[in-house]
Amino acid sequence: MQSRSKLDRFLWSLQQLMKIDAMNLVILVIFVLIGWSLISDNIANPARYLPSPIAVALSSVDMLVKGLLPSYFSDTLLRLIIGSAIGLAAGIPFGLLLGLNRTVADMFHPMLNFFQSVSGIAIFPIVVIWYGNSDVTVLIVILYTSFFPIAFNVLSGVREIPIRYINAARTLGASRFQVMKDVLFPGAMPHIATGSRLSIGFAWRAVIAGEMLAGRQGLGWMIFTGQDSDKTTEIILGMVIIGFTWIILDHYLLRPLEERTIERWGLVQR
Amino acid sequence: MIVLSRLSVALQRRFGRQRIRKIALGSVPFLVLVAIWHANTVFEWLPPVFVPAIGEVWDAIFFLQEDCPGFVPLIQLDNDCMMTTHILSSLGRVILATVVGLPAGIALGILAGMNRPISKFLEPVGVFANSISGIAWIPLAIVWFGVGWVTTLFIMLNTIFWLMFFNSMLGVRSVAKVYEDSILTMGGSRWDVITQVYLPGAMPSIITGMRMSMGFGWRALIAAEMIGGDSGLGFMIFTSAAEFKIEEVFLGVIIMALIFMATDRYLLAPLEKWTVERWGLVWKPT
Repeated sequence: MQSRSKLDRFLWSLQQLMKIDAMNLVILVIFVLIGWSLISDNIANPARYLPSPIAVALSSVDMLVKGLLPSYFSDTLLRLIIGSAIGLAAGIPFGLLLGLNRTVADMFHPMLNFFQSVSGIAIFPIVVIWYGNSDVTVLIVILYTSFFPIAFNVLSGVREIPIRYINAARTLGASRFQVMKDVLFPGAMPHIATGSRLSIGFAWRAVIAGEMLAGRQGLGWMIFTGQDSDKTTEIILGMVIIGFTWIILDHYLLRPLEERTIERWGLVQR
Repeated sequence: MIVLSRLSVALQRRFGRQRIRKIALGSVPFLVLVAIWHANTVFEWLPPVFVPAIGEVWDAIFFLQEDCPGFVPLIQLDNDCMMTTHILSSLGRVILATVVGLPAGIALGILAGMNRPISKFLEPVGVFANSISGIAWIPLAIVWFGVGWVTTLFIMLNTIFWLMFFNSMLGVRSVAKVYEDSILTMGGSRWDVITQVYLPGAMPSIITGMRMSMGFGWRALIAAEMIGGDSGLGFMIFTSAAEFKIEEVFLGVIIMALIFMATDRYLLAPLEKWTVERWGLVWKPT
């Protein structure tokens, strides 16, 4: 009797544990790892097509000891931060400035839309001809990818602000700068938040692709050379790192920021 | 003068005043850009190796299509039709990946979203797969499938599938359980619940996923064609750049932008509008 109630209590606590998301995640990871190693055990030439998780973990240790992994990682991250910071810092004021005047806003909206749809990776060959396979090339591609989505989104946001708010501020004697600071900027805030998340998302993919194509050291380069030199462990390691980095960036930095901004500023009523 | 004013009145009647104004205003920056581009050719601020003349870009179309033996080989993706073959093979991949990936992603997403315990497990999978989808898969895809058609298709399919899967799963989960219960109470079957409750309820999320999957998928496809492809627009501009044929690169980039804008404007935007009108749920005021 005693033991039964103990078992019940154990099962109950296990169930409570199952309700926690972290526990789900652990179970999931264990399942994925088991499935992965089962597949890699049962295919021909696993070292080439799908190395086991242990091999990948070992290669990560190897790369850590050699100091390659931290340097690649910091290179990629630094590129992303510099590129998207400049892109955002230029794109937000640009969008706001264009939004000051309705006519100008209507004028530039299609053009920004056009350049937004030309992806940064597509202009990569042009930039390569201009600057060669250099760090500048990668940086310009990132700048381009982060600038246009944010500028387009900010402009769209500004255009959605009811014109009577602007008129009200003007009637009360606000200068152009004050209109921009007190009406347009807060009004476009939700769009700025969404746009920056989109921008950084595109920029992150552009960094990876740019490193692959231009051959600059970084995570993209790591997985690309891993394919060249037949080191599939490095490819998978790089993919896992890229995935986790983006999850951390997106879920713990950008998305909370976006949600908070929309909560705080997204109450513009028509 | 009278003719002009009559023409403008007729145009305004046909298309509407606002639309005419928008088109006229919107074309101004493009015209300015083209003018600057032309001025650059005339005054040679930047050498023609870096920025080609407009005429050269136009001529590149005919140069690329010069050896094309006719209409039938054009459709059969003959290698001599150097422009249309690449356009059609890119488009073909987009269409194939959409036709396969979209229904598969939606169906599996709804299935996963129906069962809450399972969807709890699958959500992290979706998050992770979405964060590495597309470009990061290219090297592994090359190892698995080699350089060529399959790799590029795989990249596109991968991007579309995971975005659709994740978005429809989240969409189904956001549907209030009351609706499902009410259908079941009124004697509806499981299938009725799916078609009458889950699918419409998840529609806004699904449409968002579609737009996103087009945006991300098209970008990933271009990168995949450059790195691991042997045909397609991305491959075309990459090889042209390697031969320093900048006019072909410009041509390819412009074609890509036009195709993307056309799909977004004439396919996805009307779809989104239709969804808003039909179910009225896309835009939720906070």
